[in-house]
This record gives sequence, structure tokens and C-alpha cells, in this order.
Amino acid sequence: MQSWRRKSLWLALSASWLLLVLLGGFSLLRLALPPRPRPRAPQGWPRWLDADLLQSFSQSGELPEDAAQPPRAPHGGSCNWGSCFDTSKCRGDGLKVFVYPAAGPISETHRKILASIEGSRFHTLSPAGACLLLLLSLDAQTGECSSMPLQWNRGRNHLVLRLHPAPCPRTFQLGQAMVAEASPTVDSFRAGFDVALPFLPEAHPLRGGAPGQLRQHSPQPGVALLALEEERGGWRTAGTNSSACPWDGRCEQDPGPGQTQRWEMLPNATFCLISGHHPQAASRFLQALQAGCIPVLLSPRWELPFSEVIDWTKAAIVADERLLLQVLAALQEMSPAQVLALRQQTQFLWDAYFSSVEKVIHTTLEVIQDRIFGTSAHPSLLWNSPPGALMALSTFSTRLPQPHPESHSAWGSGRFSALIWVGASGQPPLKLIQAVAGSQHCAQILVLWSNERPLPSRWTETAVPLTVIDGCRKVSDRFFPYSTIRTDAILSLDARSSLSTSEVDFAFVVWQSFPERMVGFLTSSHFWDEAHGGWGYTAKRTNEFSMVLTMAAFYHRYYHTLFTHSLPKALRTLADEAPTCVDVLMNFLVAAVTKLPPIKVPYAKQRQEAASLVPGGPETRPKLQAPDPNCINQIAAAFGHMPLRSSRLRLDPVLFKDPVSVQRKKYRSLEKP
Amino acid sequence: CEEEAVCVIMCASVKYNIRGPALIPRMKTKHRIYYITLFSIVLLGLIATGMFQFWPHSIESSNDWNVEKRSVRDVPVVRLPADSPIPERGDLSCRMHTCFDVYRCGFNPKNKIKVYIYALKKYVDDFGVPVSNTISREYNELLTAISDSDYYTDDINRACLFVPSIDVLNQNTLRIKETAQALAQLARWDRGTNHLLFNMLPGGPPDYNTALDVPRDRALLAGGGFSTWTYRQGYDVSIPVYSPLSAEVDLPEKGPGPRRYFLLSSQVGLHPEYREDIEALQVKHGESVLVLDKCTNLSEGVLSVRKRCHKHQVFDYPQVLQEATFCVVLRGARLGQAVLSDVLQAGCVPVVIADSYILPFSEVLDWKRASVVVPEEKMSDVYSILQSIPQRQIEEMQRQARWFWEAYFQSIKAIALATLQIINDRIYPYAAISYEEWNDPPAVKWGSVSNPLFLPLIPPQSQGFTAIVLTYDRVESLFRVITEVSKVPSLSKLLVVWNNQNKNPPEDSLWPKIRVPLKVVRTAENKLSNRFFPYDEIETEAVLAIDDDIIMLTSDELQFGYEVWREFPDRLVGYPGRLHLWDHEMNKWKYESEWTNEVSMVLTGAAFYHKYFNYLYTYKMPGDIKNWVDAHMNCEDIAMNFLVANVTGKAVIKVTPRKKFKCPECTAIDGLSLDQTHMVERSECINKFASVFGTMPLKVVEHRADPVLYKDDFPEKLKSFPNIGSL
Repeated sequence: MQSWRRKSLWLALSASWLLLVLLGGFSLLRLALPPRPRPRAPQGWPRWLDADLLQSFSQSGELPEDAAQPPRAPHGGSCNWGSCFDTSKCRGDGLKVFVYPAAGPISETHRKILASIEGSRFHTLSPAGACLLLLLSLDAQTGECSSMPLQWNRGRNHLVLRLHPAPCPRTFQLGQAMVAEASPTVDSFRAGFDVALPFLPEAHPLRGGAPGQLRQHSPQPGVALLALEEERGGWRTAGTNSSACPWDGRCEQDPGPGQTQRWEMLPNATFCLISGHHPQAASRFLQALQAGCIPVLLSPRWELPFSEVIDWTKAAIVADERLLLQVLAALQEMSPAQVLALRQQTQFLWDAYFSSVEKVIHTTLEVIQDRIFGTSAHPSLLWNSPPGALMALSTFSTRLPQPHPESHSAWGSGRFSALIWVGASGQPPLKLIQAVAGSQHCAQILVLWSNERPLPSRWTETAVPLTVIDGCRKVSDRFFPYSTIRTDAILSLDARSSLSTSEVDFAFVVWQSFPERMVGFLTSSHFWDEAHGGWGYTAKRTNEFSMVLTMAAFYHRYYHTLFTHSLPKALRTLADEAPTCVDVLMNFLVAAVTKLPPIKVPYAKQRQEAASLVPGGPETRPKLQAPDPNCINQIAAAFGHMPLRSSRLRLDPVLFKDPVSVQRKKYRSLEKP
Repeated sequence: CEEEAVCVIMCASVKYNIRGPALIPRMKTKHRIYYITLFSIVLLGLIATGMFQFWPHSIESSNDWNVEKRSVRDVPVVRLPADSPIPERGDLSCRMHTCFDVYRCGFNPKNKIKVYIYALKKYVDDFGVPVSNTISREYNELLTAISDSDYYTDDINRACLFVPSIDVLNQNTLRIKETAQALAQLARWDRGTNHLLFNMLPGGPPDYNTALDVPRDRALLAGGGFSTWTYRQGYDVSIPVYSPLSAEVDLPEKGPGPRRYFLLSSQVGLHPEYREDIEALQVKHGESVLVLDKCTNLSEGVLSVRKRCHKHQVFDYPQVLQEATFCVVLRGARLGQAVLSDVLQAGCVPVVIADSYILPFSEVLDWKRASVVVPEEKMSDVYSILQSIPQRQIEEMQRQARWFWEAYFQSIKAIALATLQIINDRIYPYAAISYEEWNDPPAVKWGSVSNPLFLPLIPPQSQGFTAIVLTYDRVESLFRVITEVSKVPSLSKLLVVWNNQNKNPPEDSLWPKIRVPLKVVRTAENKLSNRFFPYDEIETEAVLAIDDDIIMLTSDELQFGYEVWREFPDRLVGYPGRLHLWDHEMNKWKYESEWTNEVSMVLTGAAFYHKYFNYLYTYKMPGDIKNWVDAHMNCEDIAMNFLVANVTGKAVIKVTPRKKFKCPECTAIDGLSLDQTHMVERSECINKFASVFGTMPLKVVEHRADPVLYKDDFPEKLKSFPNIGSL
């Protein structure tokens, strides 16, 4: 019994000991190593047991009460588009703009602005018929300030244009007028109502303007990463390996010789750091844009130009000045793809909207027109990708997925419409019609009859529908956007041209690869005539060309819309008066959109001519004789720059003239001597 | 339960102790003392252990009470004295650079803001009356979503944004002054700097302000129903009013296209004036307009929220929305309406009639693509405005509307994360999400090509090109190529990639003397992809890739090729062309090198291209293509053709007539002839690459580029490139 007791006692004791050691040991261990934080599971918001029982934030009883509110009276204090602009006046023919005449002598910039509005399709002379009344707030130099105009009407439907930040003390209340101002401060800017303009230098050209300075897509290796603006004007560069504080001069002692350099002009750098505070920043910004130097804006206090439509995140970096270190690190680590995209976007934006006064003014008006149009406004994609919204009329097919010819989306049925212009000869071009109708891609033929003679009653039987449009007397009628044209591709022809079916087929297939360009058979090229100090052009056969003749060329029907609705009227009149000019004009127009040369395809007859005929014979090469230098110079002046680009190549069929059996070749008749 | 176990043991040992005296007296005193000491030690030890087990735990568990499931009713109560401070009213001039302390976001390495959520408390006034409902279901979901996201941090010191757990989603459920006091006593309130409040139903009767009335000083407000007067552009975030139907009702996506009703108004309790206007439309346009209202005669048990009536006809809501092309979203007392979410969910294009309303997420979302905004005074013209929209555009808007709902309206989580992303993008603009990523539906994102070299630009001729010759050990042939290429006027540098690790390149003195710099790069491994590496030595944009046995190209041909590249800098411009064909018998792609009328690839044994494609090939090649090419020692040129065509969406340009190339395809594997197996392998490559790319990016064209006067009857000496096509 004793031993049993003792045994059990011992057992109990040792069990207790064991427990003590086990539990205590652990506790002691934990006590010994407490400073090391246990890997804590991240503690989040708790999962409430009664989460499902919680009430919803909106009680259903609230709804009816919510709705019983009368229509609101227009808000007094400030304006927005809905309450302060009356779009009913713009119902008829879109945006029509009346400009108040200047009272006294006007400045150069003022004159340019007036000229660019008067040359636009928006301009009207009657204030009653206008939907937007534009008031130029004079710049400080003339020392005069505008007084309240006659049709002021509390500023309703008025746009006050201020090229310099508030030059005049306000002589009148703005009322309901919109303000288009150069670099407005973010605090006074009313988004969706006011328009932010770029800060235009006095010397900004009226038209055309200097093209972007970017010569290549990617930055040159070894080029400075950063250019920094100096307070005194000018720029300074900092290399990629410089220390983290190259902008504030405090660590000036650090960079070795050659690390930083001072420049008057904008240096070749990838990024341009622009501080956001002082007013010069806005002009620096444009300077950088033109140079293809990606602007890095530090906390700008001003609204970026046309921010309503331009997606600046694609072309510039707007960063917080307080996080400079992070910004610099981010710039250094930026991927080549991002740099490439940003650089190109700066150039595109500069060329599309900023390079001239005219572009800036037209962009302003387009922005307002887009607000009026509402759903049929330019989509963001059009504003922010080449060729830009000024080159893409919203009156053309609005909001196709990608409405511009650049895009290769599935348009059309893979067929074309032939437009045959019958001019002086007055003979129905039966042979040409047969040749064109023989093409498997031909969808329809339109004959534009521009002759005093009556229409012939009989036309040849063709496989495709043939329409005759009578009464097109003017040359510019050739490029009217006829509603009967159903395809995207147009083959423009002259009754005197002669083409074979094979040539037409091949040219169309090529055009399908380059739908934004003109694809033609006969070419001419422009040149700078030193002797006369002007442009000239020649149809002589040379190793390069910059224009194709519209007497036989494929292009997108969109260019008819552009030709008719966006070209200044004076230019169309010019073409009507000097018919040889129309080729030049059309080529200028297409080149201004694409910034690329047209495309030439082989033309069998041309080779024959060269072999057998005296060059320049009037019968074989109609319209080519005596190119008129006046014409190209007038057009170049109207465009403000020379958009034509030269090409040194011709696109031939893959097996063209190759030493291989003719049977293998698809376009064998192109090779006939 | 660990604690419980300890307790059982302790209690047991205590019992033992009580029984002890009965047992111990029989022992000897010496033993007794011994036993008693032993027992007391054990007892003490056990007690100490027990205490130890208990104490720290109870401390910790109060710390991490939130990892366990608790009831909302048990949260700590905070009493707010009546005179505790009230924040100032919202500052209308606040911008990110004035009111936001960005330094707090300075130490986030991944360009991601860190968000801290305050612990939930219950606020009562001096009399113990609660300030508001503790938390609503939606706000709980919202905080859960933030807490589960990458933005969340539980370290208040590292946080850049603070989200109070005080629920202000609906202003009507809270007492304004006391809520403001509650905000002001938050640990890091500091005038509301970097605090984010979520509010969906602002204002209250009678005037219904469009922003939360709770004084909040500098705090950011994510509000549903901002107007232009209250919205601080670039500071506040406009968010949707969440509709509970989003979760309750499953509306499968309905394809775009014409629907039964052209215009539908489904809102109940419209103001009579508006209802009159809309009913006038119905009278005028008949069947195509449907105006619904509350049902008055529903039987018991039917949820009135889910029914709408027109006269005596009953419709299911929101299902009826799918029957309409356009749906009216009219302002009530508040500008933001939950019906907008229902309408988007149904793929119905919202017609928003609410002057000055800031649409949800308008900072990043392009509402023009998904909605029609009509001024209130134009309500009678709505029908004609809508009719002027082309059908194609309507269909796109329908798709877009549904996509907006799926991405940004669907759940509280979607709303919360979009809000944080917007704020994040403001702070780290260089890492911001692009317009396309916000707005393009996934189908468009995948389907669209954005050419990396989109700017139309003809690079200046003066820049010239860099020739890169890949070589292994054919020194003699290599030297001939170098001599030939050096005659090309626009060559600016020659780079030899020496791919042989077993042999040193010839000594400097043995290399041909040429007029441009010649550099030899030695590689670490004999890989074909070395040819496409973006070497620092490449200073020009144009690169001519050329094999060490291509000696048949004349200087005119190479110079002309460069000129063609300048006109097409975003394309591969090469000499021998190849074609891919669909083999109908085998049902797969086939490689073709015969004399064909078409071209879809050029061989990179002699091709010009932009050096950017070297970067893409080396770092951005999809899938395992790069390794596959190196492993098979073949098809690097096909891979390059795929890459360029895929990224630009454009075809190659073949230049100049066909020549007899000495087996240009067998560059790497010497001696392998142009035999069947080789062709089979290249066909395999095409099939492999097409499956990796998920599509066939190659474009077939029927043209090649020749000089303008090629083969024309024209004096040869006047031609720029006379020596072209000679064999």
C-alpha cells in the first residue's frame, strides 16, 4: 500500500515536473527571445461576425424624398458650359464665329489672330448669325483696353481671348463669357468652360510654322538626360550620372568639369525640367515641345494648353516638385519604350496644334465646336494621335473606330470607285471605262461630265454600275465628296489618261497597304529655285518625285471631304482658275496630313513614251506642260510651309522583270514593252 | 483553448494539494519537508507558467482583436465632449500641391501609395447617444477591399493616405457636427491632411448640397454627386453612387444592337415637371419611348423596388433596362443617382440630364464614349439628339457602358480601388495608368496595335546606318563582306559580332582597312540572338543586319535599301523575301521560299531595321521564342519578322529584284543545304511563333521597292542607282 502510494505520488510528481518543464521551458524560451518580432500576419480590417447583418448605407425609404426637387435655376456665381452657353444659336451650320473689329491700331499678334479666324471656315461677318462672338482682349503693348462691345448681352456666347495673362485691368465684368487665356492659373480656370491657350511668343508665325526639331525617333546615345532651365534664361544640361540634386545649384561643387554646360538655346536632351511657378515656364514648355525634349513640369500652377482635349500624360510628365528625388530616379529608370512614345508625342502635338498662330486659334475653335457637337465630337483618340483633330473633320464619318485613313481597320469592301473627269475633249472615254471596269476591285464608275456638249445617250455596257454626273464645271468639283461614292478608295482619272486593267489592279492592291497616301502613276517633283528665290516643280523624269498626278491616282475619299471643307476658299479658287494647280494643291493637302511622300507604281505607257515620243508632246502628256511656278508658291504661302516630301522609290510587283517564267507572274501585262 | 488546458491541469494540482495532508503525516518528517518543498515548487512553477500563459496573451489579443471575428457591437466606445474641436469647413481652393502632404508618400518604392485604416470605434455624445450608425454594410465592404489590396498598410507611420472608419457614405444617417468632432480627434488628423472620406449620398433636405456637409478641412473627398461648384478639380474624386442591385441581380451581357425601346425612363418619383416633359416625348414618339413609374397596385410580398409600371403593365426592374437602347438618368434632389449603375449594367446608354454633374471618375474615364449628356433645358429635344447618333456609334457606346460598369461600378471594391488608383496616379504621374488602359474594353486593348514608331518622320540621310555582321569563323568571307559594305556611302560604323568563343578574332592588323570605325564585339555564348542585341556601340537608328557570306549585294543596292528604310523607318526592309502560306491539307502554316508573287517576310541575313527592334527582341520578345531560337539555332529572322509585324501592324518591304543568294537561310549551321528538313523546321517555327503570339501578325503584300527609274528606258548614267539587279 505504502509503495503503491509512494509510486503514485512519484508519478504525480514527475508528471507535474514534466508539465512544468514543458510549459515553463517554452515560456522561458519565449521570454528569452522576445525582442525578435514574430512574423505577424498583416492585420487588416477585421472580418466582422455580423457583417451580413449590417444595414445598407441607403435606406430604401429615402428614394422618393430624394427626387422631389424642382428644376434648378441657373447658378449665379460661376459659369459652366451647360448654364452659360446657348447652343441653340449654333444649330444651323455649326460654329460660326464673329470677331469684333478692333477699335484702334492693333498689334502684330492681334493681326495674325484676326487673319487666322477670317481664313477659317468658322468665320462669319454678321453678329446676328454667329453662335460665338469673339472679343480680343488687347495686349498691353498698345496700351488700350477693350470697352464693352455692343452685342455683349451679359457675355453670353462670348469668348474673350487673352494672349497674355490679364494685361488689362478688367474694364467690364466677364459675366457669362468664356475666357481663352494663355497659361491661366489653375485656380481661376473653369474646366469645361474656359480654354487654356499656350503662351505664344510675339514672333510666332501666322501659318505653317517651324516643324518639330526631332530628327529621329529615339534619343541619340550619350545625349544628356536632363536639361534644366536657368532662371536668367537659357538652359543647362546634366548628365545621367550626376548627383541627385543638379537643379538647385547647391551641390554645384559636386559635378566635375563638363558635367554641366550652359546653353542659350535648348540643348539636345531627353527631358527638360521646367519649374511650374514663374510665367516664363509656359514659353519654356513650348520650346521643349518643339525640340522634342520631354517636358517634366514641376507642380505647374497653370493649366496646360488645351488640356480639355489633349492628353498631356502622353507627352509630358507633370510631377510634384516636392518629390524631386523620386522624379529623377523615375526618369532614369524610364523604359526606352516610354521615352520613345513621349518624344514622338511632343512632336506630333507641336506640329498639330502649336506651331503657328493659325493652328492655335483653329484648335481653340475646334475645342468649342466639339462641346457644341456633343456626341459627334472628335473622340480622344483623334485628338491625341497623328494627324490630329484639325486634320480630321468631324463632319466626315464621326467616331468610326479609327476614322482617319491612317488606320488600317476594315474599311470598305476592298473595292474602289473610279471617278472619271471628262474635260475639254468631250469624248466619252470608252476605252478607259472598259479598262477600269475590267478590274475585279472596281465597285462603281462615276463620270463627271464637264463639257458644253450634251451628254452622249449611249455608254458602253459595263459590269459595274456607271453614274454620270453632269454640270461639274469647276476643276474643284473633281474633289467634291459626292454622296454616291460608296467606297473608301477613289481612283481619280482624266478622260485622256490611259491605263490597263493590270495597272489599275496592282495600284489598288498597293493602295490598300498605304490607304493614307496617294498612289499614282505619273509623277512630278518640286525644287527650290535659287534663281527666282521660290519654289518650282517639274514633270521631268528624275530619280525622285514628290507629287503624283491626280489624272490617275488612288486615294482615300476622306481627302475629298478635306479638300472641300477644310481648305481655304482662296486656294480652291486658285485651282479653278489654273487647272494645272489642282494636282499641286491635292498633293500639298495629302502631304500636310501624312507628312510623307506619295507612292509611285509602274506605268507601262510612260516607258513607251520615253522610248518613242518627243518628251512633252501635248497629246500624250496632257497637263504636264508648263508647270506654273506661281501656283506652287501661292499654295506654299497659304500653307505656310512646304509639306511635300520626296521619295526615291517605286513599288513594283514582286517578280517585276525578274528572270523567271512570265507564267509565274501575276501582273505580267505590266512588263509588256 | 490553450489557456483552458492549463487551467484544467492547475485545478487538478490544486485538488491534489488539498488531499495532501491526509497522505503526508504517515511519512517521516524529513521526507515530509522534502515533499512539501517539492510540491510547493511544482505548484509555484505551474502557477507562474499559468500566469505567463495568460498574461501576455491577454495583452496581445487586445492588440490583434481585429484578426479574429468580432461583432461590430463590441467595438470600443468613444465619448465626444460637446466642446471638442470641430474642423473647418472644406477648403475649396485645395489642390494636391497645396493641401496634400506628398512627403508622406515619399518612401514607397513601387510607386504605390500606402493607405492606413483607423480602427473602428463607436462615437457617442455626452449623453451617450450615438453619433451615427457605427458602420454600414457598404462601408465595411469598402474598407475590407482596401485592406485586402496592395495599398494597405497597418503601419500608421508609413502611411501616405488615411481612411477613417467613420462611415459618412450617407449624410442622412449621421449627425453632422458630432461626426466632424469625431474626425477631428483622429490620431493623425492634422487638419485633415491626407485623409480620404468616402461619401455617396451628400447633402440633406431641403437644399441638398452636392458635397458632404460635414466640416472636413483639408480632407480629400471621394464623393458621389459633385457639381462643378463643389468639385475640386484634381483634388476630389468623383465616384459613383453604388447600386445594391449590382450584386443582387445578375444581368448577363446583352450584345449591342437595336433594342425594343429607343428611349426608356425608369426612375420613380421624378419631379412632376420632368415627368411631364418625358411623357410628352412618349406621346410624340409612341411605342419607341417607354416611361415607367412606381407600381401602385402590387400584391403583397412583391418587392416594389424590383418592379416598374406603365399604366397597368408591370415590368421587372432592372431587367427592363436591357430592352432599351437609351435610358434616361435624370437628376433628383441629388445629382448622383444609383440608377446610372443599373443602366450601365444593362448595357443601356445613359442619357444624363443633370446640369453641372461631375460624372463618376471623370478625371480618367471618357464619358463621351459611353453616355450622352443633355442639358436640362434641352430635355424636349432629347429624342432628336439621340436619333442623330449613327447606329455604329450607339453600339460602341453600349459596349462601353457595360465595360464601365464591369470595371468601375460593379462592386464597392471596384469603386474603392479605382478611387485609390486615381490618387496614386496623381502622386506618381510617371507610373500612371494611360487613357487606353482606363477606357478601352479588354477586347479593344488586345486587338489594337500601337506602333512604337508612330510619328511620320523621314530620318536625315546624314545619320547613316550601322552594319552588324554576325560571324562565326568564316574570316575570308567576312573580310569580303566588310570590304563590300564599306563602299556604301551612308555606312557610318561597322560592328562585327564574333560569335565564336573557341577562337579569337584575327589580329587588328589583318582586318581590312575601311573608312568608317570597325568594332568587334565578342560574345559569351554562341547564340543567334546575339545578332539582335542592342549594343551600346550602335549609335545610328538604322541597323543593317548582314551575314558574313552575303557578298552578292552591290553598293548601289545597299545604299538604295537604306534610302527605302528612311522612308519606312518602322519596317523591316530586306533583300530576299519569303512567304508564309496556309497549308489546307495539314491545317497549319507553311514556309515558302519559291518565286512567288507575294512577300510576308524578309530574311535578316541582309535587312535594314530600326535599332529599337533590337531592344524589343532582346527584352520584350513574347513567350519562350528567344530561347527556342537559341536552342534550335534557327529562325531568328522569322522571329524578328513576327515581332516587328506584331508591334507595328505593318508589312515588310522587300527591295530590289530577286538574286541568287547562296543559301541565305543557312547562316548559322554551316554546310547544311537548303534541303527539305530545313524547310520543315522553318515551317515549324512559323507555327510555333503564331501560337505564342496568339495570332498570325505577318502581313502579305504584292509589292517590292525599286528605284524610281528601275528598268525604265532612261540613260543609265543619269540614274541614281544604276547597279541594281545585276547578277
